[in-house]
Amino acid sequence: MSLDYLWQGFGVALMPSNLLIGFIGCFLGTLIGALPAIGPINGIALLLPIAYTSGLPAESTLILLAGIYYGAEYGGRISSILINVPGDAGAVMTAIDGYPMARKGEATKALAISGISSFIGGMLAVLAITFLAPLFGLLAIKFGPAEYFVLMVFAFATLGSMVGHEPVKTLIGCVIGLMLTTIGIDATSGAYRFTFDQPELHDGIEFIVLVIGLFSISEVLLMLEHQMKGTLKPLAVTGKYPTWADIRYIWWPSIRATVIGFVVGVLPGTGASVASAVSYTTEKRLNDRDGTFGKGDIRGLAAPEAANNAAATGAFVPMLTLGVPGSGTTAVMLGALMLYNIQPGPQLFTEQPKLVGGLIASMYIGNILLLILNLPLVQVFARMLLLPNWILIPGITALSILGVYSAYSSVMSVLIMFGIGVGGYLLRKLGFDMAPIILGFVLGKVMEVNLRNALAISGGEIGILFSSVLSITLWIMAVAIVALPWVIRRWQARSASPAQ
Amino acid sequence: MRPNIIAIAAILAGLTISAGAEPAKTECLAGAKPGGGFDLTCRLAGTSLHAAKLIKDPMAVSYMEGGVGAVAMNHIVGSRSGDPGLIVAASSGSALLLAQGKFGKHTADSVRWVGALGADFGVLAVAADSPIKTLKDLVAAFGKDPGAFPVGGGGAVGSQDWMKMALIAKEAKVDARKMRYAALEGGGAVTTALQGGHVKIASGDASEMIGLHEQGKVRILAVMSDKRLPGKFKDIPTTYEQGYAIDWPIWRGVYVGPKVTDAEYKWWVDTLGKLVKTPEFQKERDARGLFAFDSIGADYEKRVKADVERFKVLAKEAGL
Amino acid sequence: MSASSQSARASGRFAAVILIIFALVYGYFGATVEYSFSSDPIGPRGFPVALAVTLAAFGVYYLLNPGEAEAWPEREGRNAALVFLVLSALCVLGMDHLGFIPAMAVLMAGIARLFGATWPFAIGSGIAQAVLWWSLFGPVLGGNLPKGPLGF
Repeated sequence: MSLDYLWQGFGVALMPSNLLIGFIGCFLGTLIGALPAIGPINGIALLLPIAYTSGLPAESTLILLAGIYYGAEYGGRISSILINVPGDAGAVMTAIDGYPMARKGEATKALAISGISSFIGGMLAVLAITFLAPLFGLLAIKFGPAEYFVLMVFAFATLGSMVGHEPVKTLIGCVIGLMLTTIGIDATSGAYRFTFDQPELHDGIEFIVLVIGLFSISEVLLMLEHQMKGTLKPLAVTGKYPTWADIRYIWWPSIRATVIGFVVGVLPGTGASVASAVSYTTEKRLNDRDGTFGKGDIRGLAAPEAANNAAATGAFVPMLTLGVPGSGTTAVMLGALMLYNIQPGPQLFTEQPKLVGGLIASMYIGNILLLILNLPLVQVFARMLLLPNWILIPGITALSILGVYSAYSSVMSVLIMFGIGVGGYLLRKLGFDMAPIILGFVLGKVMEVNLRNALAISGGEIGILFSSVLSITLWIMAVAIVALPWVIRRWQARSASPAQ
Repeated sequence: MRPNIIAIAAILAGLTISAGAEPAKTECLAGAKPGGGFDLTCRLAGTSLHAAKLIKDPMAVSYMEGGVGAVAMNHIVGSRSGDPGLIVAASSGSALLLAQGKFGKHTADSVRWVGALGADFGVLAVAADSPIKTLKDLVAAFGKDPGAFPVGGGGAVGSQDWMKMALIAKEAKVDARKMRYAALEGGGAVTTALQGGHVKIASGDASEMIGLHEQGKVRILAVMSDKRLPGKFKDIPTTYEQGYAIDWPIWRGVYVGPKVTDAEYKWWVDTLGKLVKTPEFQKERDARGLFAFDSIGADYEKRVKADVERFKVLAKEAGL
Repeated sequence: MSASSQSARASGRFAAVILIIFALVYGYFGATVEYSFSSDPIGPRGFPVALAVTLAAFGVYYLLNPGEAEAWPEREGRNAALVFLVLSALCVLGMDHLGFIPAMAVLMAGIARLFGATWPFAIGSGIAQAVLWWSLFGPVLGGNLPKGPLGF
């Protein structure tokens, strides 16, 4: 197997402009991760329009957004450790052993250990993705409209593993996202759907308007309601650096967590928060002989951090190779590609080797940058936790308005963004998640168009959807991923009950 | 009477200054996202005009996405109808949409057509291992069993790619509505689907197919032109050579707003007329995969209107 | 059953009714899309109609099982949200007339107040942020921001 694409990718990622962009992405990512008020998906939604309107090429935009994404997995630990509030969803488990360490005056060690395990998780996962990506590229030509359609069925089936305790809300969100994609000119028949004679609607709902409204504006509204005035006081960063013995001590827990995190990340629909939870409980079960977990055990700190970084990186595998987003954040990145007229899917690797290679190469560089940012410079970010909301939230609002305005030069689009934000806020209050809406929006058109193209090719014969080895395999995978949680529950129930 | 005379004199003086003068600021509007055909047209115009020193300052390119140019045309006719420095990219696709009434109330008379800068040509291709070797084979085989030949194109039903194949269907005496037509996402997806065997015929543009044709991965059966194309295309026969009087040039040009004065319009026509003869322009045009297609001013206006009429007839025949 | 979970059920039911009505309206427009013909057997109406039916079905399920929802905000929180939205709309609409910096400074200061800043801090950071964002998106990134009578 040829790794030419990676060398070509390093050529892209090492260009001074892309190095700078990668650094900005990692820096902002760490900051966004550290600030509890704003998560990676918000950060990406806000930065995307800036990148797009300032004329950055697609690969640079992707390098920037990806840097924010995995950078946030590094940054999230800072507030978990120093204020016992996770900076983002993937850092929830980090607080369990990290915060007690900081209280004992070992904040420096806690930050360093978690920074190093983040690096281990991130770096090994990039290595895995480097070898996996070209394998999927080989399949590209086998994907016709029928296979694409079944792939989308599979992608939606993975939502089954994403559903919370109220599946109907996930499904409704998904259908709303799908409905939004039907606005505009129908790609197959050229018919005008839901445009109501407004040419502005001919190309459908603008992705940037939707994403910023759903995520940023609704977030600001939620925070207004909770009236988060002032800030929490972070603990001081004091104490000694870890020793080599400490690092040897966390080596195997980090490796195990990386494997768990990567696999969980690759599976569409699950992400960093699941990965860190699974790896933490695994380590606790394996190693907690003296009851030190939860009281500041560095293994309990290292495992979830390695896992959430591996998961964030793993989420790029389905995104880059199949065009199937593994999380809400990767769904936004896929939407970003579509802004550039790049159709995500199995052909991405063969048609855009520069883009895929550049992104993967930038992840090697980005993880090294992040290690530097997060070991000696961690004080800088710790100090930014003091940033009060009355500076932060106006900034988020300004970026939201500017992002939409600079992309479309239209006051109307900005007002629509606020309207969508109110809708998103109401749905979130009602217990709906925003990620299924974005997923439906990104995948909907691909699903409809390919189903209809497949049937156009076959002359209405449904059999075309089951006619190739690839499509049958995808059907089986779709069924399996829906049935799996149910089978596991049954199996657990049986092994839990005493043998008769 | 004296004040009136002064006023008239002032107006006349103003006219003599403005006639044939370069607008203070030039801008090209692409009615789509960056990276598409309209963007290409704008960049070709902007880069070559500046390189050939026909404008002093670089031309700004702006984007206004929506309805394949419909939003841009609305904007020009509505808010900037008299802006002398603003040109808007258009293509034969715009004429097709005008013919189908998809630009709302706008017609070919709503704006002033300045000139075409170049053209691509329609092609029909099959996979390299296909038994079909010529357009004649295709017409015969397609006429016998249209169901065996799913067609892939980069646009919806009624788009240029669909129309190209509908013309071939007509030669094969097949109802265009009976075509198994898949509307794929752009030219790249069409050639991928052709190589994967998902479609048997690809309808597309010469510039996007030639690379794979040269690599021996697809076979271009015919270029839809009345004349042989130069360069890499010199060995590929045209539709006319194979006995079918069908052509499909995809011209790319620009228009200005309806209230632009005759003098300002004439400046653009003259400038583009000079531009297309410069080596700077020809280099830029070739680099963008376009063929020479010089049609400026009144000639261009006539062509646009004739195309709109021709497309109206075609759409009607196809039952759209 | 506690009062809060009862009100959550009520708002869930209300949302379900809105979703069902939306599904019906959407479905009506979807079923009446105009087109001459499509090369596929489904056509441009099929997908919207199927989605409308699906949403209506999920809506009915949601109506019967409203599940959990967060409590709606108390008066203070509601007012803050309203002030935020009205102020944002006014400032966005005012950008073209007042110019970007003045309109944005007012908005930034207002939001800062909502998050508990004192007046001097709110006004100071409002002006500072407006100038910062203007210079970033205007001169630095080359964007086209609204110009007021003062030119910024």
